Amino acid sequence: MKVSLSWLKRYVDIDVSVEELCNRMTMSGFEVEGVENLADTMSRVVVARILKMEKHPDADKLTVCQMDVGEAEPIQIITGADNIFEGALVPAALHDSHLPNGTHITKGKLRGLPSYGMMCSGEELCLKEADYPGAEVHGILILQGDWAPGTDMREVLNLNDVIIDFSILSNRPDCNSVLGIAREVAVVLGKPFCPPKPEYQTVGGDVHDHISVRVEDYDLCPRYLGRVVKNLRIGPSPDWMKQCLKGCGVRSINNIVDITNFVMLETGQPMHAFDLNHIKGSQIIVRRAADGEPMTTLDGKDHTLTSEMLVIADAQSPSCLAGIMGGLDSEIEDTTRDLFLESAKFRRDNVRRTARSLGMRTESSARFEKGVDIMGSAFAMERALQLIHELDCGDIIEGVIDCNAGLPERRVLTVTTASICDLLGVQVPEEEIVRILQSLEIETVLADGVLTCTIPSFRDDIESRADLAEEVMRIYGYEHIVSTPIRGVITRGRRLPERIHGDTLKKLLCAAGVREISTYSFISAKALDQLGLAEDDSRRQVVSLLNPLGEEYAVLRTQLATSMLTVLATNASRKIPAARFFELSKLFQPYELPVTRQPDEVPALSLGFYGPEEDFFTLKGVVEQIFDRFQLPVSYTRSTEPYLHPGRQAAAMAAGCDEPVAVFGEVHPTVAARFGLEGRVYLAELKLRPLFEAAEKIRTFYRPLPKYPASVRDLSLLADATLPAAEIEKAIASAIPNVLEKVELFDLYQGKQVPEGKKSISYSMTLRASDRTLTVEECDHAVSRVMKALEKIGVTLRQ
Amino acid sequence: MRNQLENIKQQALAALQSCQDSKELDALRVKYLGKKGELTAILKQMGKLSPEERPIVGQVANEVRQALEEALSVRQTELQSQALEQQLAEETLDVTLPGKASTAGGLHPLNIVLEDLMDIFQSMGFDVVDGPEVETDYYCFEALNVPKDHPARDMQDTFYLGENLVLRTQTSAAQIRVMENRKPPIRIICPGRVFRADEVDATHSPVFHQVEGLVVDKGITMCDLKGCLEQFAHEIYGPETQVRFRPSFFPFTEPSVEVDVTCSECGGKGCRVCKGTGWIEILGAGMVHPNVLRGCGIDPDVYSGFAFGIGLDRLTTTRYKISDIRLLFENDQRFLEQFQGR
Repeated sequence: MKVSLSWLKRYVDIDVSVEELCNRMTMSGFEVEGVENLADTMSRVVVARILKMEKHPDADKLTVCQMDVGEAEPIQIITGADNIFEGALVPAALHDSHLPNGTHITKGKLRGLPSYGMMCSGEELCLKEADYPGAEVHGILILQGDWAPGTDMREVLNLNDVIIDFSILSNRPDCNSVLGIAREVAVVLGKPFCPPKPEYQTVGGDVHDHISVRVEDYDLCPRYLGRVVKNLRIGPSPDWMKQCLKGCGVRSINNIVDITNFVMLETGQPMHAFDLNHIKGSQIIVRRAADGEPMTTLDGKDHTLTSEMLVIADAQSPSCLAGIMGGLDSEIEDTTRDLFLESAKFRRDNVRRTARSLGMRTESSARFEKGVDIMGSAFAMERALQLIHELDCGDIIEGVIDCNAGLPERRVLTVTTASICDLLGVQVPEEEIVRILQSLEIETVLADGVLTCTIPSFRDDIESRADLAEEVMRIYGYEHIVSTPIRGVITRGRRLPERIHGDTLKKLLCAAGVREISTYSFISAKALDQLGLAEDDSRRQVVSLLNPLGEEYAVLRTQLATSMLTVLATNASRKIPAARFFELSKLFQPYELPVTRQPDEVPALSLGFYGPEEDFFTLKGVVEQIFDRFQLPVSYTRSTEPYLHPGRQAAAMAAGCDEPVAVFGEVHPTVAARFGLEGRVYLAELKLRPLFEAAEKIRTFYRPLPKYPASVRDLSLLADATLPAAEIEKAIASAIPNVLEKVELFDLYQGKQVPEGKKSISYSMTLRASDRTLTVEECDHAVSRVMKALEKIGVTLRQ
Repeated sequence: MRNQLENIKQQALAALQSCQDSKELDALRVKYLGKKGELTAILKQMGKLSPEERPIVGQVANEVRQALEEALSVRQTELQSQALEQQLAEETLDVTLPGKASTAGGLHPLNIVLEDLMDIFQSMGFDVVDGPEVETDYYCFEALNVPKDHPARDMQDTFYLGENLVLRTQTSAAQIRVMENRKPPIRIICPGRVFRADEVDATHSPVFHQVEGLVVDKGITMCDLKGCLEQFAHEIYGPETQVRFRPSFFPFTEPSVEVDVTCSECGGKGCRVCKGTGWIEILGAGMVHPNVLRGCGIDPDVYSGFAFGIGLDRLTTTRYKISDIRLLFENDQRFLEQFQGR
């Protein structure tokens, strides 16, 4: 809310600096978002009298003027304007001056002759006709009145005001008004608050002879006030009113329109003026629009209304979108003779919805959305009539129309001073509490430590002890709150198991050279097509946002692969040669579509690798490390993810889980290309619940170190090229379960010296018994048992 | 014979001195002390000596053998250390060449800062809890005293998934779940991802992160709130940091405050970062609204509490002087690798 200091000063005596005022208002809950000193917009522009005019000897269109600028000697200024005359008073920008449009003026030469400044047009001073008569005339601004040459133009134009922009919290709609802010200023500065006291005279008559009002939908319009003013005398507003409006960024139009704007800004209550003679049937009906009912608002736009929208209609059609904007037909014009003036309260969410759905937002709708005081509507009407009377813009007809469905009683709260102080932790003196509440116009009676507070209607936000405590504290001063350590029982702060396991996982991955990323939880619906997922893939069961920011953020993700691929592509496209990333996040799996319940939020991990050092097995190495760390035994089988290379992907299966715990492999080149990735890229996606459940079961106990030495036997084998290594390892392990400590692959070869369709595969077996040193014979026996088992799957010793 | 022995000794010692490597040394050992060596050859002739001479010559022979063995061993040590020195000299490296690093991974900067926050609040007795990102209208708004016609519920600000389901707009939603399920005393923080329908720009993101804090107990006051947040501010911004409360408004707290800390850039004198005020706004807080407590079955006449909400993204960008919030979600490796822990 922008307010000029001079307007505030009409209601409260402000005797502190602007800086201090701003600081004290900020600390009482009215943060100052900006201060604009109008005087700063212009410098070294003065009133000048043209003493002598001569043609420029070398330029037909230029005039050389000798100017009195209030200095001992006249100065010379050259101009191209032709509306000037000797003796005229004009604004002159001197050497090194600044104009409000940002121009910096310095002395210079025009066609060989020096010019020590510039005469200014109204436009160059950012003036409109309403600001200064003649401001929009082509040429130099000719000043009116008898100003002494040398007078600062800021004085002439009244540019000495300060505009303060207060941020108004949403619980204080009463302060979207100059009076509301002035009341707070008065409390903060400890000064009396002097609001206007509306008084005016009517010319008699009866409003009911001129118009009738019927409110059909009190749920959307709890109160509707109307008055009639006859014989309008429309003309310009007085300077003081123009000045006030200008400070709030509102242009002056004419006295009637200005009064409605002035009262809205002053009281926070939007007013609406109708041309009485345009109201058909002399009847105002406040009703819901009919579905499809057309209306043209005064900005010339056509709208089709719905039955959710409230209109102010006459006997025929809507004249006004309630609280938002008037209709084109009922607008006040210079020829308007008689006026119907409205002051009403409309329900805020309804105004908001209507304004939003029609794409409109006005000063009026903004105030109704935030909420206006139902009791304030009457005051605003009185104030408007007072101004109409004072400015003599018309004849006020006796009588008021006040339609309402009952007006609220003032709320009364009873609390103890002790309970207020207990919440704050500060002992505010009782008399101070009473003084503060009284100054905020909360009628307060104190008896035996009990406060009885009658809340004014404009403070609808005050409902309980906590609200009163806040009012007391923000005025008493938050600097009185002292820091104390939190009282209460000392407890140990813990993390949930899922977070602890997540932390473990992150540590492991960081140690493995993998870097964490963070991406949005919503993705494009097309991402699932990019992965080539089948029509019946469960990951296509996605929760859609009803109001996404755009197609690319339309659905909650059911997999992490697309986000990871996007990040890998970003990095690859920036010529980063290699990367290892992980993301630990949630997948959103709906129980039904469309969703009616919260979806299952499934913790998941994705890994994404690329670079010259990476291959399927570097990725698998990290995956294996994870399962080892969480002590979850898994077996690896071929998988069939459509976005992975058909021959280079695997699923990790754990006992008791139908779904793979992990699927990983090289990204299918077609899919990679869709994301703009060229080289080989590796992806893994892990479901974390089985891992975290396994982690819960980990119990670590010491195992005695072996007492007897191990024997190592190497086997160089020849197997079918297609036989999985895991089969060979399984055969070895099951042949000699008692003495095999470990079996490790150490060489794999296909090519020369190996028969077509075969591979050479070599293992190192570590044999050990816990109770004796194995003899050579025992080791030989073990090897022959292994070979017997291997022969069954077509594996032979390599000769 | 004695002379012979003496000659062998002299010859051998001389040979040892000129010997240059361990191979030569071994050859000398064999030549003089070996089974077919010169000293052995002489000793084999001992039988020809008279019994009187034998012990005398024998003693001399032993002395010679001992001297030779000793000299051999000394020379061997010398040669070994020479060889080692030479090897070490040859192995000299250009120590200014770059090291071979094993690539380390690292946490995302948001989580580095979050780790710090969790440590600080855990040490103050706060449990770290989590809540769902998809919330019901009840937990996200209604139970937090946000009325039905409040603008915050508008589609303009909140992502809706269904009539009654939203992406949570604040982690405060988790407060309610905790208060429904635990009895006071309660001390929790709830870090998490939150969503608002903001278009993406340098300071706005539709996805961001908050850390919600909640304390409920008997006799909790605003002074406890200030004490708690002051301790937090000292850990994050340094022990000289001052904290001030400024009145504000949130539907779920009353009184509500914005919390400012003295600008760490200028120490409170006023600079570009704090727009000349000397203060930086870091979070919103307040005393839990009695309606919120009541809704969770906690009697506001017996218990009171405070809550606060820290913007993790803003804390992260200010700590690392990151100029654009979009960098946090772009995940350029050259950006991420700048954050190596605390």
